[in-house]
Amino acid sequence: MTDIRIPNDLWDDDREGVIVSWIYKDGAVVESGKVVVELMVEKAQMELSAPASGRLTILAAADAIVNRGQVIGRIE
Amino acid sequence: MAAPPNASSAGQSDRILTMARAGREAVISEMRKDPKVFVIGEDVGKIGGIFGTAVGVQEEFGASRAIDTPISETGFIGIACGAAMAGMRPLVELAYVDFFGVCFNQIYNFAAKTHYMSGGQYTMPLTMMIGVGGGYNNAAQHSQTVYGTFAHMPGIKIVVPSNAYDAKGLMHSCIQDDNLTLWMVHKATCGLGWLGAPLKTAMAAVPETDYSIPFGEARVWREGTDVTLVGLGLTVHHCLQAADLLEASGISAEVIDLRSLVPLDRETIFASVSKTGRLVVVDEDYLSFGVTGEIIASISERDPRVWKAPPRRVAYPDVPVPFSRPLEDFCMPDAQKVVAAVKSIMAPQ
Amino acid sequence: MVVDIAARKWMYERMIESRYFDDAIFAAYFEGKTPVFNMAKGPVPGEMHQSFGQEPCAVGVLAHLGPDDVVGAAHRPHHVAIARGVNLDRMAAELFGKKTGLSGGRGGHMHLYDKSVNFFCSGIIAEGLGPAAGMAMARKVQNLPGIAVAYIGEAAANQGAFHEVLNMASLWKLPFICVIEDNKYGVSVPKRLSTAVERNPNRGAAYGCFGEYVEGNDPDKIYAAAATAVARARRGEGPTILELETERLHGHFIGDPAAYRSEAERGAQLDPIPVYRRRLLENGVFDEAALVAVEARVKERVAKSIKFARDSDYPEPAEALDKLYA
Repeated sequence: MTDIRIPNDLWDDDREGVIVSWIYKDGAVVESGKVVVELMVEKAQMELSAPASGRLTILAAADAIVNRGQVIGRIE
Repeated sequence: MAAPPNASSAGQSDRILTMARAGREAVISEMRKDPKVFVIGEDVGKIGGIFGTAVGVQEEFGASRAIDTPISETGFIGIACGAAMAGMRPLVELAYVDFFGVCFNQIYNFAAKTHYMSGGQYTMPLTMMIGVGGGYNNAAQHSQTVYGTFAHMPGIKIVVPSNAYDAKGLMHSCIQDDNLTLWMVHKATCGLGWLGAPLKTAMAAVPETDYSIPFGEARVWREGTDVTLVGLGLTVHHCLQAADLLEASGISAEVIDLRSLVPLDRETIFASVSKTGRLVVVDEDYLSFGVTGEIIASISERDPRVWKAPPRRVAYPDVPVPFSRPLEDFCMPDAQKVVAAVKSIMAPQ
Repeated sequence: MVVDIAARKWMYERMIESRYFDDAIFAAYFEGKTPVFNMAKGPVPGEMHQSFGQEPCAVGVLAHLGPDDVVGAAHRPHHVAIARGVNLDRMAAELFGKKTGLSGGRGGHMHLYDKSVNFFCSGIIAEGLGPAAGMAMARKVQNLPGIAVAYIGEAAANQGAFHEVLNMASLWKLPFICVIEDNKYGVSVPKRLSTAVERNPNRGAAYGCFGEYVEGNDPDKIYAAAATAVARARRGEGPTILELETERLHGHFIGDPAAYRSEAERGAQLDPIPVYRRRLLENGVFDEAALVAVEARVKERVAKSIKFARDSDYPEPAEALDKLYA
């Protein structure tokens, strides 16, 4: 099981971000390296890729406010 | 709320993409297939365009295929025309359609007409990605759609995707077409960071494979019997919302998404109005002398007997887009205005 | 530079071909338009901008070009088209609006295209600069041979497109030459009343590109200057603004009496063709008999193209709706 964690250095400061959209649905099978989620910090858009292959569990849904270091999903 | 149906031939997909990401997939796929495809425009290289339709392009293909230009629209659109006449397939970004004023000659007089004026000797396989639309207080010079202005000019093909699935398929069609094609995307539907969260109904399941959507084919999102609602771009979403509201009042609305502005799918619209007898056209462009009038005229001149009630137009008033929120809200088409228009023609005559 | 004999002969022949063509078109133009001048009447309708006096500008530059190069002209294109080797029959037919024309009659005099020799025109001032630079760019990015040469008038250098395109062509070092035909007038306005600088090549400093001005409307001098510009482009060193002093011997278009130019001014204009003819004789490039022979041959060639145009059919009216899209 692997966490999808927002890297501590994904953006520069303590600002909150928001989940814009998950590209895959909860429970979908995803491939390692594929982009799975879009985030936004103010105007800047960012994306995270699946750290492993497997079934996706979404922990922070679209529109959720998030912080650096937060685990927003899992792959198992 | 209805989601856009996936063409069964394109296969099912687990992925829900924003329009920007879907458009970008098509761009990158076409660039991988054909070395003659390249992107050019302001801010398209380093940051992948302000609509995100070229994100990743410069990283993968290099600066010579994702060219950042100076602020010189006439110049770089002209240069793209020349590259197209020399056999390349440029993808030109015009960040805001409102900027067409500084370069319209190169578009409507040169790019659109070269194939014709040369008797077919030269083709112009040029696609423009253009951001349109308002609703976010960006005022008169950064919020327009001006669909009618471009649609009026001969020699151009224009698509206005309303959702991510269509965005990708239409982008493939545009790049593959040998003519001047405009891929006009409403900023509020795109899924842009700087406009807040993306419009949920514009996101859609998008297959990973390539697929094309033909020009000249409207999509019937939702069938109905009492009234036909026709929209393009953002107004498709107003129509869908209105259809839900109308259903609660016992009115069955059919919703048509034009998808392709030029060529216009008059057949689908006529078939629908023949069935319902009532039409509301919803357009964010200025009311007079544009898309709404064209669609209504197309029905009437074909057969005025189909009308059970006068057609209605929900469009932008003939004023510049105002800045202040209550002023802009007054002007913008929305689901409530569509509902009111429908109810005004459902009343017994 | 000593211009080689073959080039000089070629230049003279192309200049008289252009001149005889313009003479023939001039005569045909007035058919049907008298006594009351109506632009739409007669076998050659529409506006007509002829090249009398500007022939050296075309031949001096195009003598250096080959099949991989591309040439864009503006609304006064005949001398450039002829120097480029555009099909003369089909060019004449296009001016007459016949179906055998280069564009089947869809383009006309300001919109002449012959893709087989990489030649195109544009009818809006400075509109063709971007496309020509784009053709240069297409060659550069694909490592293909060839340069692009675009012709404009001196007044067109004040159009915004000139600034935008020269900036990008210089920035990206495109294999591009902007040839400016300084015929001293933009329709009725002389250069000194339209342009803040005396010479457009000086504007090269604004873009970091080379510029050269050639006086005298002299094919040999133009040939020499063009050699440098062409070589520079082929070496990948970027564009040149090549401005050529020339003479517009007639008005802006047929029908323009050019009353804004004084009698004295017009009297002082020199026709470059007799001047060059005399020089070729003096230099022994031709003798009189050879010149007469060339002139007769070219005149007959031109007459044949006009006859072809007259004898050709008009397109079917409904063909107006064809060829909108590829």
